[in-house]
Amino acid sequence: MSVRSVHIAKERLKTLLVSDRLQCTPDMADRLSSDLYNTVAKYMEIRPEVFNIEITRTDIHIRYTGESN
Amino acid sequence: MGEVIVITSGKGGVGKTTTTANIGIGLSKLGKKVIVIDTDLGLRNLDVVMGLENRIVYNLVDVIEGNCRLKQALIKDKRFPELYLLPSAQTRDKTSVSPEQMKKLVSDLKDEFDFILLDCPAGIEQGFQNAIAGAHRAIVVTTPEVSAIRDADRIIGLLEKSGIRKNELIINRIRTDMVKRGDMMSVDDVSEILAVDLLGVIPDDEYVVIATNQGEPVVGEECLSGQCYEKICRRLLGEDIPVTDFSHSGGFLDKISSLFHRN
Repeated sequence: MSVRSVHIAKERLKTLLVSDRLQCTPDMADRLSSDLYNTVAKYMEIRPEVFNIEITRTDIHIRYTGESN
Repeated sequence: MGEVIVITSGKGGVGKTTTTANIGIGLSKLGKKVIVIDTDLGLRNLDVVMGLENRIVYNLVDVIEGNCRLKQALIKDKRFPELYLLPSAQTRDKTSVSPEQMKKLVSDLKDEFDFILLDCPAGIEQGFQNAIAGAHRAIVVTTPEVSAIRDADRIIGLLEKSGIRKNELIINRIRTDMVKRGDMMSVDDVSEILAVDLLGVIPDDEYVVIATNQGEPVVGEECLSGQCYEKICRRLLGEDIPVTDFSHSGGFLDKISSLFHRN
């Protein structure tokens, strides 16, 4: 069975909302995320799996879920 | 002091006008004195949905330009207690009215009505700015589609920017069968993405089309959508009623009721 269309809709929507909220292209949003990751990585030991960036209408949340295995 | 609520969505065709009509009628049936205002200049629709299109003499622009007194332009819907419509102008455009004029109009009505509902046009241009000018609360209508949710997010951002902080969401045209098989975003999906309080959910119901054909409301009728609109009205009056999310089929009674209303 192929991926249910609701998953595709949610992924597309998330990308759209981030670029709408930042008023930039999806590509720039990705670059922002990786720049933020690299900046934090200069000071802390982090891995992409425990690092999460969420962009809402008013805030940018950087979540670090700590040392889990 | 009346509560001023704008019903908006960004995208067109998601059910703003139907929602305005049914909430207006529902609140009036619950004993409130209500006025619904069509702010969509040039595309007058609210009167048609309410079945009042043959009673229009004056309109919103006539009031603003002083061609008539406010009272003369209000159409009383005789089917319900204390429900009034201020229709839009069909032959004018959105620049005929300014946000300041709308603000004044709304504040002139505040003392007399419990609820002032503003049906907002689609889009984010001047028509939207006019509609939200006098409001201190907004109902954002969306459907579970990518385009409608995207526009709703944009609208919520603009409302917050204009200082309207009490923004609540209605998710319209949910289909349980499609949510269940993973082909439609669920109520949880949509409210999580938009992150505003959920005021209500309206299932996709052919009864809405039938009622609109006839210029009748669904609110309070025995159909599912009618019950959901009534619950929304009660929530607006402060009752604590849980939201049905239509993510799975209802119980035995719902099935019987949907069979009963098929024709």
